[in-house]
Formats: sequence, C-alpha cells, structure tokens
Amino acid sequence: MHFVLVGLSHKTAPVAIREKLTFPAAVQEDALGRLTRLEQVNEAVIVSTCNRTEVYAVASSDDGGVDAVIGFLAEYHDLDRHELTRYLYIITGEAVVRHLFRVVASLDSMVVGEAQILGQVKEAYGHAQNTGTTGKAYNKLFRQSFEVGKRVRTETAIGESAVSISYAAVELAKKVFDALDGRTIMILGAGKMSELTAKHLVSNGVTRVLVVNRTFERAEEMAARFNGDALPYERLYEALGQADIVISSTAATEYVITKADLAPVSRHRSAPLFLIDIAVPRDIDPAVNDLSGVFLYDIDDLSGVVESNLEERMVEARRAEAIIDEEIGVFFSWAESMEVVPTVAAIRAKAEVIRQMELEKALRRLDLSDRDRKTVEALTCAIVNKMLHGPTARLKKAATGKDGYVYMDVARALYGLEDTEDRHGPGAFRNLLNMRAREIVEKQKETGEGIGDCGA
Amino acid sequence: MLEVAFVAFWMAMALYAAATVLYVYHVVTKRVALSWYATFATGAGFLLHTASIGLRSSATDGTELSGSNVLVLMAWALVLVYFVLEHLVKRKVYGALLVPIALLAMLVAQIGGLSSTVLAELRPEQAALLDNWRVGIHVAVIAFANAGFLVSAAASLMYLVLERQLKNRRSSKFMSRLPSLTQTDTIARRAVLWAFPGYTAGMMLGALRAIETDVALWWADPRVVLSGLVWLVFATYQFLRWRRGWGGRQGAYLSLAGFVLVVILAVVARTVPSGFHIFGL
Repeated sequence: MHFVLVGLSHKTAPVAIREKLTFPAAVQEDALGRLTRLEQVNEAVIVSTCNRTEVYAVASSDDGGVDAVIGFLAEYHDLDRHELTRYLYIITGEAVVRHLFRVVASLDSMVVGEAQILGQVKEAYGHAQNTGTTGKAYNKLFRQSFEVGKRVRTETAIGESAVSISYAAVELAKKVFDALDGRTIMILGAGKMSELTAKHLVSNGVTRVLVVNRTFERAEEMAARFNGDALPYERLYEALGQADIVISSTAATEYVITKADLAPVSRHRSAPLFLIDIAVPRDIDPAVNDLSGVFLYDIDDLSGVVESNLEERMVEARRAEAIIDEEIGVFFSWAESMEVVPTVAAIRAKAEVIRQMELEKALRRLDLSDRDRKTVEALTCAIVNKMLHGPTARLKKAATGKDGYVYMDVARALYGLEDTEDRHGPGAFRNLLNMRAREIVEKQKETGEGIGDCGA
Repeated sequence: MLEVAFVAFWMAMALYAAATVLYVYHVVTKRVALSWYATFATGAGFLLHTASIGLRSSATDGTELSGSNVLVLMAWALVLVYFVLEHLVKRKVYGALLVPIALLAMLVAQIGGLSSTVLAELRPEQAALLDNWRVGIHVAVIAFANAGFLVSAAASLMYLVLERQLKNRRSSKFMSRLPSLTQTDTIARRAVLWAFPGYTAGMMLGALRAIETDVALWWADPRVVLSGLVWLVFATYQFLRWRRGWGGRQGAYLSLAGFVLVVILAVVARTVPSGFHIFGL
C-alpha cells in the first residue's frame, strides 16, 4: 500500500494555474475512471475546491504512482508537464495521511478553521465511491478523516469566532442583543463597507433598516435595497433614538455623532446602543463610549477583535494537531495490519497456537518417553511449516505487486485474522483467538525466539 | 427515617457537586454532550433534596424552622427556581453560578448543625407564635423571594463582567462563554419582578402574625429592620427601572446591593441573639 498525493493549493499556485486544474462534479467520474485505469493506480480520490486540487492515490510504488498521477494531470488538462510540476506538491507515504487530516480539519485552509472544506472532501469521496475508485485503504482513510474533521470541530474552538470585520460586528451585536430579531439598524453614510455589514446583520434577523445620508437620493437608493426607510440628514438624532445598532461610514472629516448630542438620546432609552464606526477619519466621538449603555467599536477595535480571534484559532489549531497525531496513530495501527510482514506473522502465530494446543491435548493421552515426545513435537512443527511455507512465500511475493493489499485482505479473511471490531458473535471469539496469537507473538518477540519452537 | 433523610441529603449534595463540575465544564469547553448530565444531576439532586426535607419533616412531626433547616429550604427553592430558569432561557451558564451557591447553603446548614435545633429551648410564648399557618407561608414565600433575588444578583454580576469587557473592547474567550447583555439584564429585572411581591407578602404575613400575638416592639428586631431595608432597596430598584428607565449598569449595582443586604440579613438572623425573631438561630 503506497499512498501518493499530488496536488496544488493557494499556497503553491496562483489562481491562473488553479483555475485550469479543477475537476468539477461533472467530470469527476470520467477523470477518476481514467486515473484508475492506469497500471500504477489502485485507488483514487480527487479533491477539487477553489483553493486546491489534490489527487489522492493508492499506488503500487511511490515513484511510479507520482509519475502516473502527474502524467494524468498534465494530459487531462492539456498542460505542459514540466511547467505544471513547478506548482505541485508531492507527498508520499505516512505524510499523505497527515496532510489529508490537516486539510479536513481546515488547518491547511486559507482561513484556518473555515467550515466548508469538510463538506467538500466528503463530496469528493462520495464521487470516488460512486465511481468505485476507492478500496479498502481509502474507504478507511477518508472515513477516518471525516471523524477527524468532526472531532476538531467539536473538541476545539477552531471555527468559533469571527475572522472578518463584518462578521466580528455581527458577533458583537449578538453579544449585546442576544438574538437580533426585531432590532433596528441605522446606516449612516451609504458606503460599500457599511452595506456589507448591514447585509450580514439583516441576514441574522435585523428587521428594520434606517438609512441616513447627506445626499438624500443615495439614502433612498440604499434603503430600497434593504426594504428600509431613508431619513434626511437633519433627522439623524431622531433616527438614533429608534436604532439599536448604528453603522457609520461617512466621508465627514469631523465627528458626526458627539457625546454631547448623544447623551440626551441615550438617557431616554433602556436598551443598549451599539455603534460601529468603520469610517476613517472617524465619525463618532470615542468619548460616547463613556455613556451608560452605549458601546462604540471603531475599525481598529474590530480588527483587534478579528486579530485576537485569529490568534485564538492558532492556539486551537495546535490542539487540533494533537488530535490529528492521535488519529494518525489509530490509522497506522490499522494500516500495519494490512502489511505483509505482520500478516504473515499473525498467520504463523495462529498456526503455532493451534499446534501447541493440539500437541498438549495429544501428549496428555499418550505416555511417551522424552525422545518420542521430541519426535512428535518436531513432526507437528514440520507439518505446520510445510503447510505454511508455500502460502506465506507467495503472499510475500504478491504483496509487492499492484494488488498486493487484495492478497493481504484475502489472506486475513481466509485465516480468520479479519479485524472484528464491528462484529459480534463468532467474530468476537475469533478476535479472542487472534488476541492469544498476538500474545504468543509478543512473548516470543520478548524472549528473542522465532515464531514457535520450530524455528520457522 | 431520620437516617434515610440524612443519607438523601448527602446524596443530593454529592449530585449538586457533580452538577457544578459538569456545568462549569460545559461553560468552559462549550461541549453540549455533557451538559445534559449537568441538568440530570441537578434534577436528581433536587428530587433527593425534596425527599430528604419531606422525610425529616415527617420524622420530626412538621418541619422545624431552625436556622439551618430554613437554609436548606432556601437552597431547595433556589434549585427549583434555577430549573425553571434553565427551561425558560435554554442557557446553562447560570447553573455554573447558582447550583454551587445552593450547594454552599446546604453545606453551611450541615456544618452549622442540623442537630442543634434551638426549637427545644423555645419559650412557650414563642412556640405559640410559631403555631400558625401564616408562619409556614411566611417562611416559604421569603425563601422563594430570596432565590429570586439571588438569580437577579447572579445575572447582574454577569451583566457587569460582560459590560466591562464590551466597553474595553477586549474580546476574550471568557466573553464568548457569557450570555448576552440584554439577556442578563432581562433576567435580572424579571427575577426581581417576581420575587418582590413575594417578599412583600411574606413580610406582611410575618408582621400580621407578630401583631396578632401582640409581640412588644416587634419592629425593633434587627432582622425585621434589615428585611425592611432589603424591601426598600428592591422597591427603589423597581421604581427606578420603570419610572426613570434605569437600565444596565446602575440597575445591576442596585440589584447586587440588595442581595448583599439579603446575605447580611441571613448572617445576622443566625448569629445575633437579640429580638423576638430568633428562630433562625
């Protein structure tokens, strides 16, 4: 089982390249089919989002797999192979697992902690599964990666706080007002930035929008977009009396809202007033923050919030890495069971257990001299070794081929070494046997002997 | 029967302690999965608490209104009020503050000595004073009113912390765990709105009983004077909030001040041995 990953992302390639190398849902089936028809590639999943295109493959060898995938990418998108290679990152072996887990946990994203990536990888895996290009290895790997994504989401606060100015404003407004349903916002100065923030607030439940602007026509235009009311500039303080949240971004060079003017307004209201000043130079006198129930945030305060949230995400990202390390361990303990050496060892151990048990049983019934006893023991050893020699040798040889893990799979099934974590009944008993086999193997590893006394 | 009541009492305390840990864990980590157990532990603790009070009451032939017994009743009322609150606002943050307070009250009652009842040493005229349905209602209603004041104080405390953080424009992890300003403010206000009439009625019943039994200088008892002060503070609170539109910070300070008086009253009621109202001792 050789894991291979060839891909590019916002970190390695400009958008001009990324846009050429996408695999939208419509072509996934065709692309996956062509990819897995290649001699070198056994399993494949193609993750394609606006920030990354990654081909995950299980290949029969690292180098051959990488070569095949790069060839496929160049050919499929009609690109020059050498040109393309400059932008690609190539990861093989264990590192592929870590990379996938980090991608799904959104640690590799442009905005760390964003929520979409998990869904996108799920979708990519869905395509591959429907096309039949995933096998045992990738089914296990991707399913576990979704678990990783889920764990990181729930066990860390990585995606919790807002990391853009307008979302930070919404988040703060919610801290003040709880739900925003039924609240009124006032937009002071019809600018692009205030409109964006207002849009976020409206989509979070704000019901009434008031627009105040020096040029009344522009106020009317914007009010129409929000289905709100435009008010002439002279009625600014009247509007302030009705508003819960104010977004200000006028081009004025002096303070538009001063403490002296706002004080009587704030005295007559019981609900808090949340002021967002995103204008530079500022529109609202910072001194209004001293008024009871008035909360003023200017653009620097909001960036400060965003920054500290980003820092918090970085701290959470470290916690996520720990989760990933743990999950990698889990995955490789599974993957190891799919390797040839442990498989052969398990088969031998199992045979040894049976041999010893049967031997004991027989010896109890027979009354043998020491010499005879040794002969019988040697006899059982010889039978076991001769029985196993052929299959294990062929298994070792087959493991290096393209479908190596299929042989491993079959061997484990035939000898009853199958992973039985999800099964009950006879499987559980089989598991117990395997456990005993493992114990014997461990013991013999410790004492430095070969498998069994037979010196196989 | 007393032994069973005793065991139930300690088990209730253990469950409240577990609930406290779970509530705090829930608030700190924001993991929803375990928060259900917090509510469950509180609920189970409350049932045992109820059973303990009932068993003790039937063993002693009616609840003795000793100081520690009243404290246990107040803790009971607080948990009940908190349960209603959690159901109404669907937030468990308040549990991290209120359940440990109930636990503390029970612990104090236990250490203060459930065993040392003063009732045995009651003078006959005092026993006569207590022997009336009005006294039972007086105690029960004031226990619930105090629970209401406590909820208001807890919400006010959260309000002040959150307000300070918002004013200083510092976004901290702690802030994201707190409920919103308007919610804490509303809870603080409504808790007093419900508790105040209860307190008034409780005081009136007490006064009525005192006049009825012709206690001399009943209004000069330090507990009666203090409860008058408590009543005054919360009356002012109500008035200022409605008439003057006092909200937010000032209201929160006033609610906290009122609660400090409640605590002082509770301490005085259990330590100062003068006046006629000494049953709490």
